[in-house]
Amino acid sequence: MSMSESSGHSPATISAEPTSLPEQTDARAEQPSAPSTAVFELRDLEVHYGAFRAVRDVNMTLGKHEITAFIGPSGCGKTTVLRCLNRMNDVVASARVGGKVLYHGVDIYDPAVSVTEVRHRIGMVFQRPNPFPKSIYENVAFGPRINGVRSKSELDDIVESSLKGAALWEEVKTRLKSSALGMSGGQQQRLCIARAIAVEPEVILMDEPCSALDPIATARVEELMQEIKSRFTIVIVTHNMQQAQRVSDKTAFFTAEVNPESDRRTGVLVEVDTAENIFRNPKDERTEAYVTGRFG
Amino acid sequence: MEDLRRAFHAELDDARSHLVRLAASVTEAIPRATAVLLDGDLEGADYIIRGDDEIDARSLDIEDRCYRLLALQAPVASDLRQVVGLLRMVADIERSADLLCNICKAARRIYGHELDPKLRGIIGRMGEQAQQLYEAAIESFVENDAAKAAAIDDMDSYLDGLQKQFVQAIFESHAGGRIDLQVAVQLAVVARFYERIGDHAVNIGERVRFVITGWKPEMRGATLYNLQSDATGDLARPTGAQGDEPRN
Repeated sequence: MSMSESSGHSPATISAEPTSLPEQTDARAEQPSAPSTAVFELRDLEVHYGAFRAVRDVNMTLGKHEITAFIGPSGCGKTTVLRCLNRMNDVVASARVGGKVLYHGVDIYDPAVSVTEVRHRIGMVFQRPNPFPKSIYENVAFGPRINGVRSKSELDDIVESSLKGAALWEEVKTRLKSSALGMSGGQQQRLCIARAIAVEPEVILMDEPCSALDPIATARVEELMQEIKSRFTIVIVTHNMQQAQRVSDKTAFFTAEVNPESDRRTGVLVEVDTAENIFRNPKDERTEAYVTGRFG
Repeated sequence: MEDLRRAFHAELDDARSHLVRLAASVTEAIPRATAVLLDGDLEGADYIIRGDDEIDARSLDIEDRCYRLLALQAPVASDLRQVVGLLRMVADIERSADLLCNICKAARRIYGHELDPKLRGIIGRMGEQAQQLYEAAIESFVENDAAKAAAIDDMDSYLDGLQKQFVQAIFESHAGGRIDLQVAVQLAVVARFYERIGDHAVNIGERVRFVITGWKPEMRGATLYNLQSDATGDLARPTGAQGDEPRN
């Protein structure tokens, strides 16, 4: 199928006159124990890179204040799907997204939706800590400033609350003007989380956030995820199955189907369930084979 | 399909093999204990009672293997159920061996007392049935046969019926003056030992079903308990008891 024939969305369709996404509810005012409601609903999601279909037929919902982990072997499309959730695939020229990514019922790939608004609501933390070459303070204040916060006292409050939210405040409060690049890897990653939550997103996407961290820094980030999940919805891609067991409420297992003729791999969602069910009694044989290591 | 955790799965298979051999030892000891009881074989009784130390040691070894797998390999899914199932089954097998020792000790206590043919006949059938239950339980484990494992509960009903017949026969024999009260009490306890061995075989069968399908035997009772708890609102609801039907 060519691009012109596709019903999918290309980066070029982002509208210059964006319409608003649904009003964001105040996560902080809500009860963490309230029943989970869907933040995202993926319907027949598929992603093409040029003529190559990287992922197909992904159907799932992501619950509010839940941590959902995407697991699966390399090349199964889990990061591709994650990047669809805040339109990060838009920056890949050949990428084309089909199906629907509904955020509170609104298709974020609708041409009328502002991509800036999408990324404001749905933050992202990447595999490698990527602090700006600025001070710790400026890293956290950067997003709120872009969003128009000018008051020094208000920025001070946001920086402090964000750093506290990322369990970093006590470690850096005396050196906020120091360069973020002088921090340890684990601190840098938590700074990136603080930077992400400073703009008060509803969802935080994490793409293997601990893969470059040592076990202690990993434990801190995992602990942090548990602490902040009452305020945010978190989606994490991880290669570490024990991490998925430890942190996720729901776990989605993806695998890659290999086309024997072209030898191309297409990612498919095999099973999504509570982490307990996925790791104790998965329904699908492919999930069982993967989590138990009987997988080639 | 390439196994990426071969060393772990080899260790798990090894633990399984040890459990099967342990269960086989206990299964073989059931007719021996019955013969000890019927023949008044004091030497045989001593042999089985002394042999229990070896059963205990082998049981502990299997437990250690399971703890090591849990601590070092973090098993999940069917692997996790296997390890948890092994831990539960080994306790049943070890306890069954203890019950066989108890039968042998009862044999010592009634040594020299004649038993009438009806009592002897039922003892023989209880022994055979207990052995069959154990054989079926362990075969279901070896063959990963959930249907066979599920059938053990029904087979146990026959043993339960034999126990009731036996107790009735004890009353009759005692009333007829053929056995004294001490022997009657010992025989009633022996019947209970066989019945308990059957129950342990049922437990093993239930664990086999859990290993294969994730089905938990306590679920229906737990569901009733939870319903009652919800109705009265004064009992803590245990976690993990969801009353699900088998998932596979």
